Amino acid sequence: MSRLEIYSPEGLRLDGRRWNELRRFESSINTHPHAADGSSYMEQGNNKIITLVKGPKEPRLKSQMDTSKALLNVSVNITKFSKFERSKSSHKNERRVLEIQTSLVRMFEKNVMLNIYPRTVIDIEIHVLEQDGGIMGSLINGITLALIDAGISMFDYISGISVGLYDTTPLLDTNSLEENAMSTVTLGVVGKSEKLSLLLVEDKIPLDRLENVLAIGIAGAHRVRDLMDEELRKHAQKRVSNASVR
Amino acid sequence: MAKDIEISASESKFILEALRQNYRLDGRSFDQFRDVEITFGKEFGDVSVKMGNTKVHCRISCQIAQPYEDRPFEGLFVISTEISPMAGSQFENGNITGEDEVLCSRIIEKSVRRSGALDVEGLCIVAGSKCWAVRADVHFLDCDGGFIDASCIAVMAGLMHFKKPDITVHGEQIIVHPVNEREPVPLGILHIPICVTFSFFNPQDTEENIKGETNSEISIIDATLKEELLRDGVLTVTLNKNREVVQVSKAGGLPMDALTLMKCCHEAYSIIEKITDQILQLLKEDSEKRNKYAAMLTSENAREI
Repeated sequence: MSRLEIYSPEGLRLDGRRWNELRRFESSINTHPHAADGSSYMEQGNNKIITLVKGPKEPRLKSQMDTSKALLNVSVNITKFSKFERSKSSHKNERRVLEIQTSLVRMFEKNVMLNIYPRTVIDIEIHVLEQDGGIMGSLINGITLALIDAGISMFDYISGISVGLYDTTPLLDTNSLEENAMSTVTLGVVGKSEKLSLLLVEDKIPLDRLENVLAIGIAGAHRVRDLMDEELRKHAQKRVSNASVR
Repeated sequence: MAKDIEISASESKFILEALRQNYRLDGRSFDQFRDVEITFGKEFGDVSVKMGNTKVHCRISCQIAQPYEDRPFEGLFVISTEISPMAGSQFENGNITGEDEVLCSRIIEKSVRRSGALDVEGLCIVAGSKCWAVRADVHFLDCDGGFIDASCIAVMAGLMHFKKPDITVHGEQIIVHPVNEREPVPLGILHIPICVTFSFFNPQDTEENIKGETNSEISIIDATLKEELLRDGVLTVTLNKNREVVQVSKAGGLPMDALTLMKCCHEAYSIIEKITDQILQLLKEDSEKRNKYAAMLTSENAREI
């Protein structure tokens, strides 16, 4: 097999994008109106994710109750068939998945106004149907959409994105081939600000290049936020027009 | 870090108010790392690290094992970071799925193992059948915050201090030479990652943090246990002396301005530079102490540079 050319001299990537282009981003909300209070389905490139938000509801166990604020739970189900090769394990209780869940809870704890839902629990269930790199960013986007659909009060959108660094060129929104070939940075950006709720670097990156990578990432995340906003407004409009017909 | 320790309302108010006025309980400034005390034991790969009241002990050991089938040219390397109740009553015995335990072990794993700080290919003895399995056991003896930083220093100092017995290979057969017969050989260390943890506090309300432009969040380096209990967000940066960011983890918590985070990374670099030099210096002193007669036996003569 010939070595893959991650970034051609003409400035094209493996899937024909340029360095600053996002993958196809499609999302829809309220996809499972009977199963959950809020739901979203989103595709970011070949990442396909279903997110269900159940709650605020009464906790199953009284011991889980907090009298001052709501409790947030996130469970991530990475399906066995989500990659090209079927995996043997169900990824449950894997350290990597536990880490993802903890990070997601800690991110949204600060962004959701939990104090206005005391004595309740909010369960977030994520099913990853297909994964193709930058999965953490997509999970964040999915949760943001589903929480909005559930009508849970938040301060702002959080949009997630991953940026790779190929030699000296930052590549926005990496897919799995790119992710395996270079080091990537994952960001969770709050709304249209430059504030990062999440910042993950898992491989070596030169300290002096990091700033550049972050700048591209933030710009990409703002674009993702706009795309989500567009979809939400479209959906709302459809609902309003349906309601007025009745 | 701990959930079960409850801090009283008056004490938490006092600490936060002091932070607002630029004071910390132990008199350090916000960007001051605690003094790191590293002591090597009698055996190779036996290290204790003390930072304030935090005490961590690390022991490196090795044995011959079979490599993984899909990686026949690589040795095995395991880091075990199990926190026992010895460190404090807030930790449970054998609980490896607790939030903090998972984050701590994952960060150490990413910093040291995934970044390739140890040359695992150098651990191969006979490809596909025999290799060294190196194990780092981290024991947390006392907890006053900064577990991740301390254990990373302990693991790296231990790996650099450790020496494995020399071996001779005759085809499939290998001879392991006892340490008293032949000088043991050190491990191959490719770079020295060191972690620095920043804790963030929000002096104003949440809305100001998310919508405001002031960026008035407080960031402090190397928090103690009480500060860790009260903090709103945490950032752990791992760097090495080659100006490479090995790992950054800001898993949720208080949203922080990107430029502030960049500033933190640059601040961390000057700290890791100092700690790396300290480790190297101590290692040199230790090896000189072990080879007292080396200077006498050497045929090296004084030369002008």
